[in-house]
Amino acid sequence: MKRNTVAAFSAFSAFSALADPTREAIVRLLLDGERSVGEIAERLPVTRPAVSKHLRLLEGAGIVRFESVGTRNVYSLDPAALEVLRDEVDALWKRALARYALVANNSAPKKGNRR
Amino acid sequence: MNTTVPLPVRQRVIVALAADDAFELFTRGIARWWPFGGHSCSGDAALDVVFEPRVGGAVTEIARGGAKHPWGRLTAWSPPDHFRMTWHPGQDPAAATVLSVRFAAVEGGCEVAIEHGGWEALGERADEARADYDGGWAFVLGRFAATVTGGAS
Repeated sequence: MKRNTVAAFSAFSAFSALADPTREAIVRLLLDGERSVGEIAERLPVTRPAVSKHLRLLEGAGIVRFESVGTRNVYSLDPAALEVLRDEVDALWKRALARYALVANNSAPKKGNRR
Repeated sequence: MNTTVPLPVRQRVIVALAADDAFELFTRGIARWWPFGGHSCSGDAALDVVFEPRVGGAVTEIARGGAKHPWGRLTAWSPPDHFRMTWHPGQDPAAATVLSVRFAAVEGGCEVAIEHGGWEALGERADEARADYDGGWAFVLGRFAATVTGGAS
């Protein structure tokens, strides 16, 4: 079930991942450095399993990363997250300009330089 | 937390239209091609995006039923060559990034070049925000995310 949640995230994973107040609160906590699931749960009005679920979504979206330190499982912000978001802006414009070109070329006047 | 500000997104496409027609389709004709599903404030209810054609003019999404959602403001308007706008669909103007679009006549048509950047300005505002509350990085991420989702909620 856990894995399904992550897999359900598609093209706009990073954006959807941040569009949630609890996940944004988690990202804010991680600004100060790495934290375990338990440490995050102590500071937010949500249960540990809920925190784990949110963290897996954020991890699947490339926003946070996970590391096992001894018996502790700690999460931290992934420095590459902004690049992930940039790639999605890039993907938006790729899609938009492809549609623009299709409409433009279909409405091109049939005079002059026909190909 | 050190983060590197990404480079602007740059893309170009050549279409078989004269520059003035290409400019017209991109702006007044945007409803004919913009992928509203997934990239608008009102989703499937989005009908059009209206450019108030002057520097300082508003760019506004219009939804079925008449609801209006600001996308940004024009900071340059020089048809048929160029326009530039702040970009903050459904978000506070403080979260704006910058979109610049150029139209240049080439053999067989017009080259349309977009540049979507201004992430570094978000970073500066994030630093200011950080002085007040511990949300600088989340602010950048969240606002950056908003540049594409249109803040659909």
